[in-house]
Amino acid sequence: MAEKQDKISFKKNAFIDNANKMPEFENHQQQTQKNTTCYMCACRCGIKVTLENNKIRYIQGEPTHPVNKGVLCAKGNAGIMKQISPARLRQPMMRKPGSERGTSEFVPISWDEALDMLTERLQKIRETDPKKLAFFTGRDQMQALTGLWAQQFGTINWAAHGGFCSVNMAAAGLYTTGFSFWEFGDPDWERTKYFMLWGVAEDHASNPMKMGINKLKERGGKFVAINPVRTGYQAVADEWVPIKPGTDAMLALSLIHVLLKNELFDWEFLVRYTNAHYLVVNTPRTKGDGLFYRNSNGTPQSWDLEKECLVNATDPKIKPALLGEYKAPDGTQLKTAFTIMTERYMSDEYTPENASKICGVPADQIKKIALELAHVAFKESIEIETEWTDWTGRKHDKFIGRPVSMHAMRGISAHSNGFQACRAIHFLQVLLGSVDSPGGHLAKPPYPRHVAPPIKPGKNVVPGKPLESWPLGFPTEPEDLAIDDEGNPLRIDKAYSWEAPIANHGLMHMAITNAVAGDPYEIDTMIFFMANMAWNSTMNTTKMRENLCAKNEDGEYKIPFLVVCDAFDSETVGYADLVIPDTTYLERYDTISILDRPISEPHAVCDSIRAPILEPDRDVRPWQSVLVELAGRLKFPEFTSDNGERKFKDYKDFIINYEKVPGVGFLAGWRGENGENSLKGKPNPKQWDKYIENKCFFEYKLADNHKYFRGANKDYLEFAKKSGFNSSSDPIIIELYSEKLQKFKLAGMGLYDGPQPKKERDQFRLSRFFDPIPEYYIPLEHRCTFSQAFPFYAITQRPMFMYHSWDSQNAWLRQLQAHNYMHMNKAKGEELGIKDLSWVWVESNTGKIKVQVKLMEGCQSDTIWTWNAIGKQKGKWGLSEDANESTKGFLMNHLINEHLPCADTGSPVTNSDPITGQAAWYDLKVNIYPAADDEQFGVYPNFEASTKLPGRPETKDILRYNTKKPVRLSRSLIDILTKGGFEK
Amino acid sequence: MRLGLVVDLDKCVGCSACAIACKQWNTSGTSGSLTDYRPYGADPSGVFFNRIRHYETGNYPDSKTVHFPMSCMHCEEAACVTVCPTGASYKREEDGIVLVDPEKCMGCNYCAWACPYGARELDREEGVMKKCTLCVDRIYDENLPKEERKPACVMTCPTTARYFGDFDDPNSEVSIVSRKRDGQELFPELGYKPVNQYLSPRKKVEIKQHEISEPNLVRKVKDWVNKVVEL
Amino acid sequence: MHPAFSVIFFTVTSGAGYGLIALLCLLNFLYFGMLLDKSTFFICATVGSALFTMGLISSTFHLANPKNAWRAFMRFRTSWLAREGILAILFYPILFLYLFLVYIDFQIENFMFMQAYSFFIFLMSVLIIHCTGMIYACLKTIPQWNTFWTPINYITIGISLGSLILFFILDFNNYNVDPYKYYLLAAIAFSFFTKISYYISIRGSRHNIGQATNAAIKLKSTNVRLLDVGHTGGTFLTDEFGYKVAEKKLFRVKTFSIISGFLAPFTLIYIHSFVFESMLLCILAISLAFFGMVAERWLFFAQAKHVVNLYHGSQNV
Repeated sequence: MAEKQDKISFKKNAFIDNANKMPEFENHQQQTQKNTTCYMCACRCGIKVTLENNKIRYIQGEPTHPVNKGVLCAKGNAGIMKQISPARLRQPMMRKPGSERGTSEFVPISWDEALDMLTERLQKIRETDPKKLAFFTGRDQMQALTGLWAQQFGTINWAAHGGFCSVNMAAAGLYTTGFSFWEFGDPDWERTKYFMLWGVAEDHASNPMKMGINKLKERGGKFVAINPVRTGYQAVADEWVPIKPGTDAMLALSLIHVLLKNELFDWEFLVRYTNAHYLVVNTPRTKGDGLFYRNSNGTPQSWDLEKECLVNATDPKIKPALLGEYKAPDGTQLKTAFTIMTERYMSDEYTPENASKICGVPADQIKKIALELAHVAFKESIEIETEWTDWTGRKHDKFIGRPVSMHAMRGISAHSNGFQACRAIHFLQVLLGSVDSPGGHLAKPPYPRHVAPPIKPGKNVVPGKPLESWPLGFPTEPEDLAIDDEGNPLRIDKAYSWEAPIANHGLMHMAITNAVAGDPYEIDTMIFFMANMAWNSTMNTTKMRENLCAKNEDGEYKIPFLVVCDAFDSETVGYADLVIPDTTYLERYDTISILDRPISEPHAVCDSIRAPILEPDRDVRPWQSVLVELAGRLKFPEFTSDNGERKFKDYKDFIINYEKVPGVGFLAGWRGENGENSLKGKPNPKQWDKYIENKCFFEYKLADNHKYFRGANKDYLEFAKKSGFNSSSDPIIIELYSEKLQKFKLAGMGLYDGPQPKKERDQFRLSRFFDPIPEYYIPLEHRCTFSQAFPFYAITQRPMFMYHSWDSQNAWLRQLQAHNYMHMNKAKGEELGIKDLSWVWVESNTGKIKVQVKLMEGCQSDTIWTWNAIGKQKGKWGLSEDANESTKGFLMNHLINEHLPCADTGSPVTNSDPITGQAAWYDLKVNIYPAADDEQFGVYPNFEASTKLPGRPETKDILRYNTKKPVRLSRSLIDILTKGGFEK
Repeated sequence: MRLGLVVDLDKCVGCSACAIACKQWNTSGTSGSLTDYRPYGADPSGVFFNRIRHYETGNYPDSKTVHFPMSCMHCEEAACVTVCPTGASYKREEDGIVLVDPEKCMGCNYCAWACPYGARELDREEGVMKKCTLCVDRIYDENLPKEERKPACVMTCPTTARYFGDFDDPNSEVSIVSRKRDGQELFPELGYKPVNQYLSPRKKVEIKQHEISEPNLVRKVKDWVNKVVEL
Repeated sequence: MHPAFSVIFFTVTSGAGYGLIALLCLLNFLYFGMLLDKSTFFICATVGSALFTMGLISSTFHLANPKNAWRAFMRFRTSWLAREGILAILFYPILFLYLFLVYIDFQIENFMFMQAYSFFIFLMSVLIIHCTGMIYACLKTIPQWNTFWTPINYITIGISLGSLILFFILDFNNYNVDPYKYYLLAAIAFSFFTKISYYISIRGSRHNIGQATNAAIKLKSTNVRLLDVGHTGGTFLTDEFGYKVAEKKLFRVKTFSIISGFLAPFTLIYIHSFVFESMLLCILAISLAFFGMVAERWLFFAQAKHVVNLYHGSQNV
């Protein structure tokens, strides 16, 4: 880069001459620069904000920041328009006495009134039955705090939006390799030569992905995109694979089929880093079948090829058989885990020819990709000369890398077979030996963690007491479920019940439905933070809006008290009984903590903060400060000193002084009394200042010998333990074969010594879907939807300039897109008599919508899709009632049911992945047909315009934002009169 | 000097970061404000110097999507300049940047008519024509760190699909990359000699396939021999 | 292109005005001195000046920043618009001096000088109309304008309108228009011929989306199509250049403009001259011609497709 700059300034003198002739455009004396962390989406880039006359002159990427290294996306660049949005909430409000919920009629109240009202209500709940508080947060980047708060309150009913975002990805990774995609792992962009992008709907991760694609292309690497739609990233892919939605597992496993058939896999990697050689009990239809064969100490066993006997599978220096069937001394039939895998994946079910029928991807293309993967992994492997030690103590003089990498997200995640599909992708990575290897898929500290992370979901709700553990955790066996003795769910969203046993992120999408149905019980108060549950962040939007207003026979609301905290006038705000106005991201302190969802890079432990750039000009407070305040008022043990006094003055004080375990707090940088410690150390009273001094982030770079194979890297494992990432330095063994899943399967089959489901439906789901090795199965909704009636897959994407943001109110971004179309394959549309830009009906089992259609080539022919969350309710988000978002924009959510449409399941069951409870909103099947001639304009359904909030400023038809009078550059009269054309 | 941009169509993912960065910088810059019309109402619109269109070529399933950012090309023979009656529109001799002097523009739109690239937009509130300045108010600002003396769009581009520099300097980044990747101008037929260059989507990267001795040689697991690998 | 009324009115009236003046001076030149009596001459000159003045005033209405309109003369070296402007302004003193000289019978003493002066004004008037035409014809971005038939059309139509007006005034003032009516019919016919030639020359399209993008996209397949224009609410570019009109409407307007602008005036003048003399026919001919030319000028804009549309979804322009 330095070289490039020297070259580019080759004609430096000319630049200087010109500069001398220039007026002083920017008055730098009246400008100040401050750093903070962007929050226009969940990417958390570092930004440098230039202020002028107390207004934002310019927001740019911070060049030294580990996440974005100076670049910034469209959202980040549009921060100014968020800061001046007319949709910003201005003061606490309560529903106008006598008005109906959902009408947006509010009266302003003071903060004292709001906090008193809330404290009183919460106090009562906490003292009687804490689970009557359901606290769900949306795109929350402070789950470490909101989770702690819920745990201290004593309610198990807390979760963030992961249940409808990406829990399948997180869970599949954490139950397989110990890390996953996005926040948990990244392709080794510096070295990878072959990159497969699976089902990324222009979503996570925003800037890092773009920067990575650049690096890959500069290196001449190949980019394969697997996606039913070719927009965004897929546009620049070398090869586009238009797959049928929900069939990715089949493709991944068929690739595995080809690799196995040709014996193309990393044998050493499998033996050394995975449990593929573990012996599995092979006694079908009896108790214990499918579990690891263990010795009396409970240690799994392997067959040693030299000793020709059973040995501890985890002992160093054994020479275990990867393949084969064996007999235990007690006569038990055993098979290696890998044998089970090969038997399944080499079967005819997964031949490219068969896969082709299901995925719509030609068999030859599947073979070709598999052999390309093998070529790059094994013939173009790379070596990094660094001495390192593996967990057995063996020294290596280099890291050997398989430069194949993958990234997968929404399109895998949001299907009811997404967990197994994501595991299948990890299997592919493992077979190629590209997990945490140079050029492969790298973990980001504090990951990898042991499979699965040793945190169990809390379940003992005791009045007036904190929950014994976090509300969310990682069940490894049926005993860990949050169910009562009868097997009924303990949580309002039924996470960790038989319906969704490994629901690591909860099922926020079920919370309203279940609370209104009183199933499993009724609640008193629901708090939503930054979650638009009455609009685009829910399934079945129309019904959910009715649900929020549903009343008992006595006229009381079924959800008696609804608190909404948001910075903007969202559709959900309209349903609140109490509105708590949040600040914008530029007006507050925040931590992006290693305890939560850190911003680490593969080779650096990182965290960051937000520091206020501007003072709020409204009577608003940051939600985290409100939480700390409430925690103090409610006297949560962690927030209260022994003498009953508040332990923390405010949020900043809490962040400095709270220690999860001694030495470990929310922020890892500049710990110790004088800021001398990294990662672990005593609280530092000046910690915030240190972060601000250092551009609001902390970066701890890993030593060279810590960088790869971290699950088996002795020095790294010890470092991770010392730093508090992991509780032990034992090797992190990749669980190809998941005994944990098998236990649930056995419970479903009635073969488990422990809790077992009683309902036939649950028994079926467990025995059918909890396969210890991934398989492809037809997504649940597809199984029970008549394909003749609903022949199309319907999915959504979010445009890059709005992804994961809240920004249809953004005056600049909405110019790019103020309404959306339903896109479909051009030839298919023409075949059905659907004209470009005509209006069509789209119908599902749940409902129908009328929308405008756009035909395109880059769309799988059985798929229709639209941009998500563009449509808005009339009058919300500070928009006028004739805004395109409500006249032409629409939501697909109206078509998606939160319950499966199957009739044969008895009581309604969630439309989610049966393993993780991930909302299966990509499973939607629909029909599409032209609207009548007299219906050729306007979306359906429509909703009444929202009442204007008190104090909302009038918006003008003209916006002319700037921070100063412009300094113009003028042309002289002489020049005008004397200059001819362009003659030299 | 002949300053201009190189846009790499092989890397552009159509994210619009450049368009919004441009809007952000310039609304408080020398051409500010860049007026927005109906910012919160129907059909929101406004002055932008850089817009991204999206095209498709070929037919499904062999279609290709191309994101296509366009801003002023700073043509060597800029028709927008020759047609301007007032002299408000001009091409700087020093560096070739095509600019509008807002104090002199009468808002006749004639230059916009002459521009084939849609690079000029009238600010209806101010009544003057506006356009990309190549961030003339950044690139010469010696109070900015050296590496930030670039147009906002180039600085922000997450895929490095935009380069800025002097095409007269054969060793500048833009000259090198444009030479190496056979940079193309848009609409060469019109003869305006646009300075900005476009790099075409590259040919598909071909990766060798792993050689296989005979397809599906191994039919059963039992055919395999266990390899001895020490744990 | 969006047919702005101010510009249509400007080009039609100023063209007619300069056409009338040009003809008036040409008559003086050809007839070696004053053919007309002074009052008729000044009526003609006043009508002509009024027409082009109205046109010029109207042309400023489409300026977004008219306070800088005075600067429009600065770039005569390269800009046809500036040339038109500066000539139009210079034309005033030159014409007024001429009129003054005519008023004081300057030609009696200085015959050759006034001959030259007459011819000079004739040339200058034609040149101004030519400049007006070149404002449009020089734009390579608009293929329907970028043809030499454009300035020729402007000149022939301006002259034919001016001729009609002059004919009417002469006839009204009982001049013998015998020789003149042949000329007038020829002028109308010639303008019609140039217009038809123009229409023939702009048939089909000159540019396609391939030229606009393919050079850069450089993929084998040439069928580039717009997927998304990148904004949903319209922009200056789509407002200014995205004017679309139905083919049917274009055809109707074209038929009207040909009949009303050329065929009807020709026929009416013919009838008036050879069959049935009536000033009403003359008035009708002028009115129809004027409306026909407004329609013709509307078409001139409405039919013109800016190449920027290639980036916004048009496959050809």
